[in-house]
Amino acid sequence: MRQIPYVMAINEAFAEEMARNDKIFIIGEDVQAGTFRATTGLVKRFGPDRVMDTPLSETVVAGAALGASMCGYHPVADFMFADFMWCAADEIFLKTAKWHFIHGGKVQVPIVLFGNIGGGARVGPEHSQCPESVVWHTPGLKLVVPSCAGDAKGLLKTALRDPNPVVYFYHKRLLGLPGDVPDGEYTIPFGVADVKKEGKDVTVIATSYMVQHALAVAKELEGKISVEVVDPRTLEPFDIDTIVKSVQKTGRVVIADEDTKRCGVTGEIAMQIMEKAFDSLDAPIQRVAAANLPIAGGYMEQYVLPGPKDILAAIEAVAKK
Amino acid sequence: MKLGKKELIMLYTNLLRARRADERIVKALQEGKVVSFYHSGQGSEAVGVGACSFLRNDDYLYPHHRGHGLAYILPKGASMKAHMAEHFGRATGMAGGVAGFHGVDPEHGIFGGGGTIGSQFPVSAGWGLGAKKNNRGQVVLCCFGDGSSNRGTLHEAMNLAAVWKLPIVWICENNLYAQFMPIKDAYPREDIADLAHGYNMPGVVVDGQDVIAVHEAVSAAVERARNGAGPSLIECKTYRYRSHSEGSADIAHAEPRPAEEIEAWKKRDPIKLFQEHLLKEGILTTADVERIEKEVMAEVDEAEKFALESPRPDPSILPKLLYQE
Ligand SMILES: Cc1ncc(C[n+]2csc(CCOP(=O)(O)OP(=O)(O)O)c2C)c(N)n1
Ligand SMILES: [Mg+2]
Repeated sequence: MRQIPYVMAINEAFAEEMARNDKIFIIGEDVQAGTFRATTGLVKRFGPDRVMDTPLSETVVAGAALGASMCGYHPVADFMFADFMWCAADEIFLKTAKWHFIHGGKVQVPIVLFGNIGGGARVGPEHSQCPESVVWHTPGLKLVVPSCAGDAKGLLKTALRDPNPVVYFYHKRLLGLPGDVPDGEYTIPFGVADVKKEGKDVTVIATSYMVQHALAVAKELEGKISVEVVDPRTLEPFDIDTIVKSVQKTGRVVIADEDTKRCGVTGEIAMQIMEKAFDSLDAPIQRVAAANLPIAGGYMEQYVLPGPKDILAAIEAVAKK
Repeated sequence: MKLGKKELIMLYTNLLRARRADERIVKALQEGKVVSFYHSGQGSEAVGVGACSFLRNDDYLYPHHRGHGLAYILPKGASMKAHMAEHFGRATGMAGGVAGFHGVDPEHGIFGGGGTIGSQFPVSAGWGLGAKKNNRGQVVLCCFGDGSSNRGTLHEAMNLAAVWKLPIVWICENNLYAQFMPIKDAYPREDIADLAHGYNMPGVVVDGQDVIAVHEAVSAAVERARNGAGPSLIECKTYRYRSHSEGSADIAHAEPRPAEEIEAWKKRDPIKLFQEHLLKEGILTTADVERIEKEVMAEVDEAEKFALESPRPDPSILPKLLYQE
């Protein structure tokens, strides 16, 4: 199959969907250039009326996307770094997430809220977060966290056809990672987890960049511990059934996610497993996540964020029990 | 304040310190010694140096992020060594090596900075409130870029500062771009200083390449604020020579920045202009220029050596940093 980098797959999804639906437009800071190259080149093809560079104003980027979505458009609000969504917290968490519901379902708000997440650049706590748990916590926002090029494209195409607000988080450390991307048209439905690697001893449920770490660790353990890697791909909607099936097979679970551990993605998934598959568990679930600290910059970043070593240790710990 | 020979030479030296330190960090980044990113301030040093060289030690400063504050914080008294060490990820850095790039030095009235552009306005209003309550004649300098002025936070903070007559000088380093966005496509008027009228405060435009012009405008605004007459806005027209951040493309929207534009601004280099002026006025001799260059290079060498020889932080400090004991 054709291999292209993750960020090129995202770029392709935008181009295909914008060609298919002229209601789609992208607004945000420096989207014509594309700070992470996700939107680079689109202005040449679709023009500045559909790839709109805005002033440095996250609040109105989010608000204008919301407003235009209610007028029949399908905006993509690009926040550059997902951290900057916090500058538009009212528009996103109090309006975009709630307005369909609170207006009795009489208005539609189809928007993609697009942001780059993750550590690895060692640039401190305001440019490195994976703010998934806050989004997932908020009813009314769908949440997509692709871990590879193929998923990145298929899921973004689905996001651009969804009549609801979808938060799409793509990871810094995955941008250049090549992956299989089918030629031609395809989409990936929301709420369908993907078993990235089959195994029988331990289930690792991982999101975004952590999936790549989990796969590397699983490979390292080949012949010793047989690891199954499950990627939920979307957190809202969440495919607990595929996870339960895997847990029933292995009885041992590690959950790896880069967001803060406390009240984080890992805790929510662990509890859903408890509720649905407690009897299948042979060992306490292990969580791998960021320390309950702001993400330090410089050399200190590595002591806050989780990495492959933590996944390895967690797998070995559950496998022993 | 009319400047004497000593003060003029201090201004010149500060310009050079900011420039040479910036050049060294760029080089160190290329050599892999800098652990995070860097937004060079080459070209606009007269803004920070003109604004901050004669402040009181207890005045509060929110530096603009170009040079990660160099042109602002060095004249305010912060240590070049500590700035360099932070960028090298060392325990002796301004934030103890935990931030990677934030300048913080409370002993010199520098309470730190944020990663989100536009966050300087509200917190500076808080410093203004603190200064007013202290009633010791302190002022706040809140520095920001043309792009930062697009944030809604500006309105809330400038409005509050105006109605409460907070002792704040808002200083805009207008370098015509916000990352890749030309100001002409982000703001409908020529001058950001015009915003001042909406808040009933003075708004002044100055040549940001002229360190004396910046100094004079800021001094007047500082005096006004010290005397309880409230905030002012000063816009300094300037430019950045390098791309937005090291390694990023040097573009406007998606096209290269015009070479003629860059060349034209380089002809009005703030250090060159001021040096010519001081030589012509007989304040400096060419021998002085050479000596100052040597002294500044020695300080920069020393700062880099200090940074390189300093240890990385001990990661066990991280959990202890979360709360004050
Ligand atoms: C809230 C927020 N939005 C976007 C960014 C990314 N960003 C960093 S600097 C910058 C441009 C700032 O422009 P300006 O205020 O003119 O300062 P300059 O960099 O030109 O000196 C942008 C968009 C950010 N750090 N924070
Ligand atoms: Mg600017």
